[in-house]
Amino acid sequence: MHHIEVTINGVLRRAEVPPETTLLSALRDSWGLTGSKLGCDVGDCGACTVLVDGLSVNACLLLAVQADGREVVTIEGLSGFEYLHPLQAAFERLSSYQCGFCAPGMIISAKALLDENPAPTELEIREALAGNLCRCTGYTKVVDAITEVCRDHANAVGVEESA
Amino acid sequence: MSERITKEKQAEAQRLLEAAPATHLPAVSPRLLPEVPALTPEVNKQTPAVGQRVSRVDIRSHVTGATRYIDDLSFPGMLHCRILRSAHAHAKILSIDVGEARKMPGVVATLTGDEIPVNSFGSTYQDQPVLAADRVRYRGDGIVAIAAETEQQALEALAAVKVEYEPLPAVFDPLQAMEPDAPKIHRNSNVYTSKVIMRGDVEKGFEQSDRIFERRYTTQMIEHVPLEPFASIALWEPDGQLHLYSSNGRITLGRADLARTLGLPMNRIRLTATIIGGNFGGKNEIRTEPILALLAGKTGRPVKAVFTREEEFIASTTRHPLVMDYKTGVTSDGRLLARSVNLVLDGGAYASWSETTVGKASILAAGPYRIPNVRVEGHAVYTNKTVTGAMRGFGAPQVAFAYESQMDEIAHSLGMDPLEIRLLNGFEEGSASHTGQLLQAVALKDTLLMAAKRSGWMEGGR
Amino acid sequence: MKRPGRGIACMWYPIGFTVAANPSSAVVKVNEDGTATLLTGTVEVGQGSLTVLGQIAAQELGISADDVHVVSADTDTTPMDTGAIASRTTFVTGNAVRLAAAEAKSILFEVASEMLGVETEELEAADHKIRSKTFPDKQVALAEVAVRAQIVRGRPPLGSASFNPPTVAMDPETGQGKPFATYVYATQIAEVEVDDETGEVEVLRICAAHDSGTTINPALAEGQIEGGIAMGIGMALEEEILFDAEGGQVNPNLTNYLIPTSLDMPKIEVDIVQSYDPVGPFGAKGVGEPTLVPTMPAILNAIYDAVGVRIADLPATAEKILMAIKEKERAEVKQLGSA
Repeated sequence: MHHIEVTINGVLRRAEVPPETTLLSALRDSWGLTGSKLGCDVGDCGACTVLVDGLSVNACLLLAVQADGREVVTIEGLSGFEYLHPLQAAFERLSSYQCGFCAPGMIISAKALLDENPAPTELEIREALAGNLCRCTGYTKVVDAITEVCRDHANAVGVEESA
Repeated sequence: MSERITKEKQAEAQRLLEAAPATHLPAVSPRLLPEVPALTPEVNKQTPAVGQRVSRVDIRSHVTGATRYIDDLSFPGMLHCRILRSAHAHAKILSIDVGEARKMPGVVATLTGDEIPVNSFGSTYQDQPVLAADRVRYRGDGIVAIAAETEQQALEALAAVKVEYEPLPAVFDPLQAMEPDAPKIHRNSNVYTSKVIMRGDVEKGFEQSDRIFERRYTTQMIEHVPLEPFASIALWEPDGQLHLYSSNGRITLGRADLARTLGLPMNRIRLTATIIGGNFGGKNEIRTEPILALLAGKTGRPVKAVFTREEEFIASTTRHPLVMDYKTGVTSDGRLLARSVNLVLDGGAYASWSETTVGKASILAAGPYRIPNVRVEGHAVYTNKTVTGAMRGFGAPQVAFAYESQMDEIAHSLGMDPLEIRLLNGFEEGSASHTGQLLQAVALKDTLLMAAKRSGWMEGGR
Repeated sequence: MKRPGRGIACMWYPIGFTVAANPSSAVVKVNEDGTATLLTGTVEVGQGSLTVLGQIAAQELGISADDVHVVSADTDTTPMDTGAIASRTTFVTGNAVRLAAAEAKSILFEVASEMLGVETEELEAADHKIRSKTFPDKQVALAEVAVRAQIVRGRPPLGSASFNPPTVAMDPETGQGKPFATYVYATQIAEVEVDDETGEVEVLRICAAHDSGTTINPALAEGQIEGGIAMGIGMALEEEILFDAEGGQVNPNLTNYLIPTSLDMPKIEVDIVQSYDPVGPFGAKGVGEPTLVPTMPAILNAIYDAVGVRIADLPATAEKILMAIKEKERAEVKQLGSA
């Protein structure tokens, strides 16, 4: 068993895990954070995408011990009782998802993109989502929602700068 | 107290914001966010309700990661189940030895097919075993289920199960499976369900035709790929009711199947499906539920099984591959006079939803066109391949590929516009279908013209 | 060289099971504050049926969609339903919901009739009120009627109903009959680019016009159509389960069985064509399965338009297309030689 300490969504968490435990199973089984989903367990589908030190990774490909001492952000870290992340609000407005199973991973990938590049082109958005499979939506309303967030953000920044 | 937490939260958010570049959208930040809908639904919004772009009732929980799918549930003392699947496409099972597997670390119980009260299921014909007991008919057949403390332990114990097989000749091609000397998979004939549609006199129609077009079309086997793999949990409630949580899209009929396989009255079974992470037809039958129910009964503990992605491919159903022979007679000005269609559906090892699929494929096969003379024949055939069942469209996507490819060929060959030939022959309000049904609310030509307008078809497109 | 092409395909698709009974039941309860609770045995699998069924109940009761809470997916609390299959939920379960809501409403009308002194046939439910059709000022809040129904009349305002689509059995010899209550229709036009040196296809644009009767929720219908097109693109160009000689699957994983990603999707333009089905709830039919049906032939016909080859064996992989182009070129050369 290995002792690990990971900062998850701003909170330091500890666990004792067998060495083969993935970060995904630590999140789900040790810490009860079931927002990140198990879709394939081999890094093909992206349903388990989380941020580790700001970079988007498949939590099923990372061992829990590799996350020791790092900062992890999961879907649960994006919203609280009183607010949604702008991406979440846009996805909700457009009913971008259907079965919703891919949503947590895809939203994290979208956040990772916008953190790096707040004004992506449509191709850059599609490239950022290419590792997140969805079988329901055709990605159309997902890309539309991200585009809206970027536009709103650009407008907000524009207003701030001109003020 | 709550105020203090909020202030701390705000201070933390402020710190994050200051550390981040101006354009950064932070993970935890109530401050910069645009106005967001309240978290409880606003009641008394506008009426009428029909025709409104109402938000999905589950979208808030989807975007916050709060939607609970079956694999997100767990119960105290829950065991994990894995299933050993056949090593052969077609074989007799001579013996199954779980003695060694039972001694493996963490193993609590095992289950074989002979322990299941009624070991068969199926939506039309109950020809599929829950766990194969004496014969396997494809590589996805389950043989032994093991419940252990962890999934890893259950997986390791599977390797200790000894199954002795006597391989039988197998057949993988549906046309070969129809030959009289082909290996028989269930009964005397591998053809297990057929459908005929006849209207007018198709031979006379061909005689009257100026041109005849003939081609064979084939389609492939396809997996549904729901992002959520099939998952199920069984537990016995203190009052003696069996409670199954399952990603099953048809709970009422799932409960009926469970009542049948387990020999229980319906009111002693509760089937809860929560929200399902994609179905597309692949989650319309029971799969592991009876196995988990019996393992939970044996152990007195909840038991969960989640399909691996590989099991989703090999042990769930798939889309029927079709071999489709189309022959169509037309006049030189493009009117359809006769169409004959022969369909062979690769039914895989068990019937599943093949009867429905043959039916829909046959009824729809001639296309949405007024044709005075039609003959369609459809057959579903057993092979030793993955079971084919319900999948979005039930045979319609396959036949549409064929009839619309042939319409295009006919149009090009007669020098007609592909839109024009469809408008000339397409169903109208009150047209009779190929089964003689008078059709109502027929919007076919509206859709043709609408799509043509949108794409700029008349202007040459591109 | 990349060659452009376009192709058109249309289709018809039935709603519900082929003749076989596929009933749905529903229970609607009107609460004391004028909101409602709907019990349905169908299951939300992503298609949006809980939202759509709530809208249908709301419409019948004259309240808003958000006023309806939908309870589903539990055999202990919800009535019988044939389930999320055969594009039947809006049409079949939707009809059961509409009828159940109408039954609850009829109880409310009886109570309101006394309260307002207006015959029940003269009443309508709209904007959270029950009112006279002729003199809309004669009105009373739905909530008030719901409370009064319980306290004064001793009749809880709840309704239950079952619906099974009307069909006529097919003749076993000729297949003649009425296997389905209704059908939907659709057309898709695909624009592609085919690289004639590699056989690779890029789908650039799909215009999709779909009939679903009255559209209960256009946003969700569009979502279904966009998703169906994605599945159709996969079936047209890349998806295929392959087997080895022993009947084992060769590619049972998402590394080697490829489904469309965000990069594979074209620009999709959806038009929803309105029609009115006399049997469907508020004229609605359905939208789930037919969305992918015209996609494959539209793409395959566009490939023919681009490079002049017909692939009759799905999926139309780059290798198959390239081989067909080569074969066509050889045949043309041969023809020239013999001429």
